[in-house]
Amino acid sequence: MSHPIEMAGISKAFGGSVALRDVSLALTPGTVHALMGENGAGKSTLMKILAGVHQPDSGEIRRAGRTVSFANPRAALEAGISTVFQELSLLPNMTIAENMFLGREPLGRFGGIGRRRMREETKGALARLGLTLDPDTLVSDLSIAERQFVEIAHGIDADADVFILDEPTAALNAADVDVLNRHIRALREAGKAIVYISHRMDEIFAICDVVTVLKDGQLVGTRPLTEMTPASLIAMMVGRELEALFPERGEGEGAAALAVSGLRLHADSKPFSFTVKKGEIVGFAGLEGQGQQKALRALVGQFSPAEGTVSRRGNTIRLPVPEESGVRRWQALGGAFVPEDRKDEGLFLDHSVGQNIVAALHAARPALKAAKRYSAVIAETMRRLNIKASGQSATVGALSGGNQQKVLLGRYLATDADLLLIEEPTRGVDVGAKAEIYRILRDFAKAGGAVLVLSRETLELIGLCDRLYVIHGNTIVSEMRAQEATEHGILDAALSA
Amino acid sequence: MSALVNSTLFRRVSKIPPSYYLLVALLVILFAARPQMLNANVLGVFVRQVVPLGILVLGQLLVMRVKSIDLSGGGVILLINYCISSGIFPGASLGFYIVLALAIGLAVGLFNGVMVAKRRVSAVIVTLALSIVLVGFVQYLSSGKPPGDVPKIFAELFNTRFIGLPSPVLFWIALTALMALLLSQTVFGRFVAAVGESMPAAHFSGVPVERTVILAHTLAGIMTAIAALVQTASIAVGSVRVGLDLPILSVAATILGGVVFGRGEGGVWGPFFGVLCFAFLFVVMTMFGVGDAGKLVAQGLIILFAAIFYGLRAGK
Repeated sequence: MSHPIEMAGISKAFGGSVALRDVSLALTPGTVHALMGENGAGKSTLMKILAGVHQPDSGEIRRAGRTVSFANPRAALEAGISTVFQELSLLPNMTIAENMFLGREPLGRFGGIGRRRMREETKGALARLGLTLDPDTLVSDLSIAERQFVEIAHGIDADADVFILDEPTAALNAADVDVLNRHIRALREAGKAIVYISHRMDEIFAICDVVTVLKDGQLVGTRPLTEMTPASLIAMMVGRELEALFPERGEGEGAAALAVSGLRLHADSKPFSFTVKKGEIVGFAGLEGQGQQKALRALVGQFSPAEGTVSRRGNTIRLPVPEESGVRRWQALGGAFVPEDRKDEGLFLDHSVGQNIVAALHAARPALKAAKRYSAVIAETMRRLNIKASGQSATVGALSGGNQQKVLLGRYLATDADLLLIEEPTRGVDVGAKAEIYRILRDFAKAGGAVLVLSRETLELIGLCDRLYVIHGNTIVSEMRAQEATEHGILDAALSA
Repeated sequence: MSALVNSTLFRRVSKIPPSYYLLVALLVILFAARPQMLNANVLGVFVRQVVPLGILVLGQLLVMRVKSIDLSGGGVILLINYCISSGIFPGASLGFYIVLALAIGLAVGLFNGVMVAKRRVSAVIVTLALSIVLVGFVQYLSSGKPPGDVPKIFAELFNTRFIGLPSPVLFWIALTALMALLLSQTVFGRFVAAVGESMPAAHFSGVPVERTVILAHTLAGIMTAIAALVQTASIAVGSVRVGLDLPILSVAATILGGVVFGRGEGGVWGPFFGVLCFAFLFVVMTMFGVGDAGKLVAQGLIILFAAIFYGLRAGK
C-alpha cells in the first residue's frame, strides 16, 4: 500500500518546551485516521507541521515517497493538503464567497474578479453540505455553527487528497455532525486520506478506521479502531507516573470561603454550584475550553454569565458583575485573581520587580493619597517566594519564566487576600519552579487561605488539589476527591457526560 | 545599525531625552552668534513667550503617558480667549474669568476622558473634532471679526516680575514642579505608570483604568484652561486665530522631552526642556533670517526626528 503522506521522526520544540519528540505518522488513501491525546499532547502541533504552519526541528515529511518541506500553509495546500483548523480562521468582514476564494479569486471577463463564478461555486459547495446560505452573507452575520460549517466547506471543497479536520464538530449539534459525517464518508469513498481530531468518543468510533494516540509529544501507538474499545482507548491516552513534585495535601475542613450557586454560563447551559472551603485547594478539571475559564472569570467580571449568585464573607453578589469594576470589587472582598497570561495580562514587563509586586497594594488606596514605598513588603515577598533577581529594581521582563510567575503570584499574596483564583499556575515554567509554586499555594492554604485553580494539566490538578470539579459542556458534571482521582477517571467523567 | 542600537553606550545615551541635547546645541549656537543675548533679561522675555505652550505640555504629557492624546487645546484656548476679550460678560472680575476658564477646561477634559475611556472612541478623533466644533462656535459668535480687548489686569499681571524673573515663567516652573510631585509621589502617579505600561496588567492588578484615564484627561483640560488664560494675557487682545498650533506643538515638545505613548522616561522635566527648545529655536531662526515658512518646516522635522529617535528604541 502506498502512503500519500508520511511523517517520519518529527520533533518540534517551542522555546524550551518540547512539543513533539520523534513522532511518525503514515496516512493511507481511503481511510479516516483519528488522532487522539490529552490537552497538550501535541496533536495540533503535529497537524500544523503537516499544514505548513510550523516547520519541524528534525524529521521529514514524504509526499508519495519524495521528501518535501512546506514553508507556509499555501505550499501545503498546493501539495494537496487541506486543513480545517480548530480556531476559526474566516475573515468576518468579508462574504462567505469572498472567504471561500480568498487568495485564489477567479478572473472574470474583463480581468476583474469573477464574482458570479465565485457565488455559484460557493453555493454548490454549501449545498453539498446541505446548507442553503446566501454566498453574499457577511461572515460576521453567521452563527458560530454556521461559520464552522463554512470553514469545513472551504476546507473539504479544495482540490486535495489529504484532509485534516482539527475538532471540526466542537460547535456543531448532532444533526450537523451527521451531515458532516456523511461528507467525510464520501471523501473516504473517493479515496482521500483524512485526519480527524476530536474529543468525542462516539464520533471517533462512528467514522474513523485507524487511531494514533499521542502523549506528552510522543507516539503511544497506532491501532485499527476495530481492535479498540472506548475504555482501552482512554487507557492508551493516560497512564504515566505521578511525579513527586507535590506537597502533602491539607485538611480542607473549614467554613466556606466561597460559595457559588445557580451559575449559568450561557442562556442555554445547565446551572451549577460549587464551594471552596478555608484551607482547601479546589481545581476545575476537564477537557480544555469546556467552560472552566468562563466560570472562574465570571467571578471577577471578565466573563458575563447568564446568571449566578456568589456568597463571600457574608456578602451576596449577583452575577454578572461589570467588567471594569469586577476585579476591584473582588479585591475589596479580600479576593485575588491571578490571570493566565503573565506576559499580556499579568506583568508590567518593563517595570521593576518591586513595582510589579506592589501594584495591587497601590490599587487598593485612593488615587490622591501619597504613594507608600513598601520596601519591606517587597523584600519580604521576594524572600518568602524565593524570587531570584538582582534586586528590587531588576526589570521583570529579564527574569526567567518561573521567577516571573512567582512575581505575579507575589503581587496578590502581598495583599491580605484569603481567597485566590488562579489560572494555569505553572504555565511555561520549569520543573523546579513548578514544585516551588505548588509549595507556595499549599502554604497559603495551610495558613487558612482558599484556592480555586484551573489548569490544562490534569496531573497537576490531581497532585495539587484536595477536591476537583470536572467541567464539561459549560457545567459541572462530576465532583471528586483529588486523592482518589485519576486522569482516566476525569476523562471518563467528562466524556461520558 | 543594529550594532549601534545594541551597544550599551547608545542605550545609556538614548535614555536622555532629545530635548536636553537640542537645548544645549541651541544655546551654543546662540552663544557663538550673539553672546550679548545670553543675559537673564533677554532670555526671560523669550521664555515668557512659550509659557502657554509649556503649561499645555503638562497636560499633554499626562494623557500621553496613559496612551492617549489631547488635541482639543486649540478650540479651548480660542473659546476662553473669546469669553474674556469679547465683552460678553461686562464688568466681570478677574476671579470670574479664572473660574469660568477652569470650568470650561474641566468640562472639555472630562468629556474627552469619558469618550476615550468609557466609549473607547479614538482620542485623536474625539479631541480634534471637539476642537473643530469649538473653533466653529467661536467664529459663529464673533462673525469672523476679531473680538475686543482683554481687561487690562491680565496684561499687568503678565508683565510683573518677581526676583528678577517674569512671573509667568515662575508660575510655569511652579506648575511643572507640582505635576512632577503628583506623578512621583502619589498613588495616582503609580496608576498612570501602570496604565501606560500595560492596560490589561493594570486592570488585573485592580487599578481603576477607566478612572485613571478620565482623571488624566480632566487634569489636561484644566491645564489647557490655565494655558489659555496666560496666552490671553500675553497677547492682550482677542483673536480668532490664537493658539491653534499649540496642541501639535505640545505633542512635539512632549515627544522631544522623552515622553512617548505609554512611556514616561523623560518625566516632567524632559518635556519642560522640550518647550524651552522651541523658545530658543525660533530665536535662532529669526536671527539667521529664516521666515515663517522655514519655521514651519523646522517644526515638522523636529516632530519627525523625535518620533524616529524614539521609534528605534521602542522596536527593540
